[in-house]
Amino acid sequence: MTEPAKQPNDTPLDDTLRPHIYDGIQEYDKRLPRWWLLTLYGAMVFAVAYWGYYHAYEIGTPPAKALEAEMAESAAIAAKKAGEITDELLWKMSHDEQVLSAGKATFDTTCAVCHKPDMTGLIGPNLVDNQWIHGGKPMDSLKTITEGVLAKGMPPWGPVLGKQKIAEVVAYIMAHHHPGEEIIIVPGWTPPAGVVPPPPAQ
Amino acid sequence: MSTETTQTKTRIEYDDTPVRQFMIASIFWGIIGMLVGVVIATQLGVWQANFNTSWLTFGRLRPLHTNAVIFAFVGNMMFAGVYYSTQRLVKARIASKLLSRIHFWGWQLIIVAAAITLPLGLTRGKEYAELIWPINIAVALIWVVFAVNFFWTLARRNEPTLYVAIWFYIATIITVAMLYIVNHLSIPTSWTHSYPIFGGVQDALVQWWYGHNAVAFFLTTPILGIMYYFLPKAAERPVYSYRLSIVHFWSLVFIYIWAGPHHLLNTSLPVWLQSLGMIFSLMLWAPSWGGMLNGLLTLRGAWHKVRTDPVLKFFVASVTFYGMATFEGPLMSIRSVNALSHYTDWGIAHVHGGGLGWNGFMAAGMFYWLAPRLWKRPLHSPAAANMHFWLGTVGILIYMASMYVSGITQGLMLGATKEGGTVLAYPNFIEAVTSKKMLMHIRALGGLMYLVGFVMLAWNIWKTASGAEVVNGSTEVYVPEKTARMGLGGGFVNAPVIYTTLLIVFAAGWGVLPGTGSAFCIFGLITTAAIMSMSIEFSKAGWNDWYERLLANAVPFTALTTIAVFIGGLVQIIPTVMVNTGSSVEGMRQIPYTPLELAGRDIYIREGCYNCHSQQIRTLVGDVLRYGEYSKLGESIYDHPYQWGSKRIGPDLAREGGKYPHSWHYFHMRDPRQISPGSTMPDYPWLFTDKTDTAALPNKIAVQRKIGVPYGPMTDVEIQQACDTQAAGIAAELKTAGAEVPPEREIVALIAYLQKLGKAEKVSQQTASNPQSAIPNPQ
Repeated sequence: MTEPAKQPNDTPLDDTLRPHIYDGIQEYDKRLPRWWLLTLYGAMVFAVAYWGYYHAYEIGTPPAKALEAEMAESAAIAAKKAGEITDELLWKMSHDEQVLSAGKATFDTTCAVCHKPDMTGLIGPNLVDNQWIHGGKPMDSLKTITEGVLAKGMPPWGPVLGKQKIAEVVAYIMAHHHPGEEIIIVPGWTPPAGVVPPPPAQ
Repeated sequence: MSTETTQTKTRIEYDDTPVRQFMIASIFWGIIGMLVGVVIATQLGVWQANFNTSWLTFGRLRPLHTNAVIFAFVGNMMFAGVYYSTQRLVKARIASKLLSRIHFWGWQLIIVAAAITLPLGLTRGKEYAELIWPINIAVALIWVVFAVNFFWTLARRNEPTLYVAIWFYIATIITVAMLYIVNHLSIPTSWTHSYPIFGGVQDALVQWWYGHNAVAFFLTTPILGIMYYFLPKAAERPVYSYRLSIVHFWSLVFIYIWAGPHHLLNTSLPVWLQSLGMIFSLMLWAPSWGGMLNGLLTLRGAWHKVRTDPVLKFFVASVTFYGMATFEGPLMSIRSVNALSHYTDWGIAHVHGGGLGWNGFMAAGMFYWLAPRLWKRPLHSPAAANMHFWLGTVGILIYMASMYVSGITQGLMLGATKEGGTVLAYPNFIEAVTSKKMLMHIRALGGLMYLVGFVMLAWNIWKTASGAEVVNGSTEVYVPEKTARMGLGGGFVNAPVIYTTLLIVFAAGWGVLPGTGSAFCIFGLITTAAIMSMSIEFSKAGWNDWYERLLANAVPFTALTTIAVFIGGLVQIIPTVMVNTGSSVEGMRQIPYTPLELAGRDIYIREGCYNCHSQQIRTLVGDVLRYGEYSKLGESIYDHPYQWGSKRIGPDLAREGGKYPHSWHYFHMRDPRQISPGSTMPDYPWLFTDKTDTAALPNKIAVQRKIGVPYGPMTDVEIQQACDTQAAGIAAELKTAGAEVPPEREIVALIAYLQKLGKAEKVSQQTASNPQSAIPNPQ
């Protein structure tokens, strides 16, 4: 307490002022802080190195190439993981409670907007009757969902949902059917009148 | 008027009327702009706040918010600060009273015009450059009026040398003019509509060269100039370091202009441009912090005043927010960080740190400091000003914290994959939307607190000014002797400029030249650096003298600043504009729009869909899994304006075409929640009742042809027929799906456009160079 307060090294009083005064404003001419200079020079060095690595000497992989490599790698993993899926397996899955609840969850969030939660069809076709457009066997459905039918507005869900989820959804749909049931192939789907709300008045 | 006689003592009365006018205008428009901000923030959590009314939807109000706070709030604040400080720093009254009045009223008319046209859906469809072409011309003219008034005042100055604030004002005026004009080059199709001359990747590059530097030279450099005047005045302390001012000014204006492409990382913009954007953004960190240091360290010996003085409180917080935002900016420009942060609320948090913190608090501090000096009465309530400070600070922190959480959550969810990177972890986009709903409410609350604080400022200044005596400042000066002028030549032909030029040329040569040229440039670089370091050793005083002489010569100073800000733009834009159009399309070329699709596209732009939906699939696994193959250069070359977007409040639409049937879009546009439960997108009922404007198409197609889109010759009748046929086809298909709508309604044109998105043809290198023959008449 009795000791006098230590003078900080950086007292403004020691600094020399530049002679000029602008509307009462004066300026010191302090040295540039060293850490600040280091960040400036460091960023410059990094910039040169980065440019050299990716552009001047083309050592680094360009982003599009890197992406393609990454996608190829994951495609290989997917191919390895994909076990044999068959009609038989999917029918079997359609009795598994756990599979069905998972399939229902995916169906309700992804498919129900077009096919309705009860699968009776809205924008997309009815899935509980025995009329089918692209084949009615479990493996046919799996293919339709995975690859989509772009001409009719069915998006390919393979890259979005993945094999596992699609198989669960197929199992969930097939829980509404049984093996050996009659399959009638029809050209397309027309929503029944009254299902779709009328357009607004003019 | 300065006279030839030496040492005459004259009294100068400053003209502070424009300062008062601009200050009041800034406060008024600030409240409006922030209020619109609170409204659109609310809309993101509560879709009903769009009121099913076209001119109140998010897509139309968001441009109004950004334009109002940038050009009306900060613009008017900047003019007030520049007019006040420049007169005093150069010891001369503003040159022309008439020009000041034209500047003020012209700018306010422009703002009113913007506030009317934007909600009506009259827009150019480019961010912060939405205003339609007649208003663009008015902006350019008023800016010239401002420039003439400013430089004329400099010419009549009684203070021979230029203070650092003036340097920043000069850089602002020159650069904003350059950016604004180039990014608004368009060809009109009517009095309210035009197409930009650049398309696709070119338009994207020019847009972000402009957009990024609107932040740099409209929201940063003039505010730094204002800081350099008002902060030392309020603190009554000398500025920390003159040489830091020099280094950070020149590095800032030179480097800033290159950084624009960091808004386009991982897109189909050529990679060399992306890399330039990234490395120059990193190099910008130190120059930006130079400004922060000079601001904060000026307070050495005055920190005790910060406790009591609301003005200094605002300044300190403002400069601190500036430091945070300019650290965060380079961070977000790193390619891998950007992969997470881009298109999310992280960007919104970042800009509001700058906007609410740096700009808004600098404005508040300046207004509280100015009011007693402009109206000769002490501030009505310093207590209320302190209250404003705390309300505003807490408001910003709530705002930013919620947006960081929201942005990072969204970025992580949308990019997440599982099962060895083969499947998306969250396949439904809507999951990312519903997960951040609460955060949207919190953000709106933070914004509202900030607005309430700002309304307190309006009240406080109103109470201070009403009934008070209006005063103009004055000073007594000795008119200085005419000093020897440097001349333009003297400005260029001297050691510092020559060395710097050589260094830049050699560095650029190393970067782009192959083999021996590159080696020669490295040699040149080292030699120049060696000679330069020796000459610095030998004549430090010489360099200093040269700079001091430069400061007494406004014309060479302005010329050098102009060159410094030109270089980055030239290097990036010229090659892109020259090379692209024909051959460089990466194997895919967009199929031009049919007339109906073009009409639909203009509806998409009118409704401001780009404010929430991007059209660019990045070179990232998450993007490709969710939206399909990454976007190629050629897939948007005929898009005038480009619509890559900068935010994904909704999903990307680059490959939307053909994904769903027409009826999906029909029901989705009428009630998005019927298709996508939890969606925050507004309903668009008017698209089902309004008729598509096909009468404008002949003019539009003629202009498209002029700017390089390969439309074959078509008569007006043929255009109408093409529209009718395509619309009838879509309407018929909709009818079979139970969605009946007359074919001439806007929804049909919009569906036609949406179904075209992502349609491109494969081209070989050979056919690519000749688009005219490769593309048939789109009819």
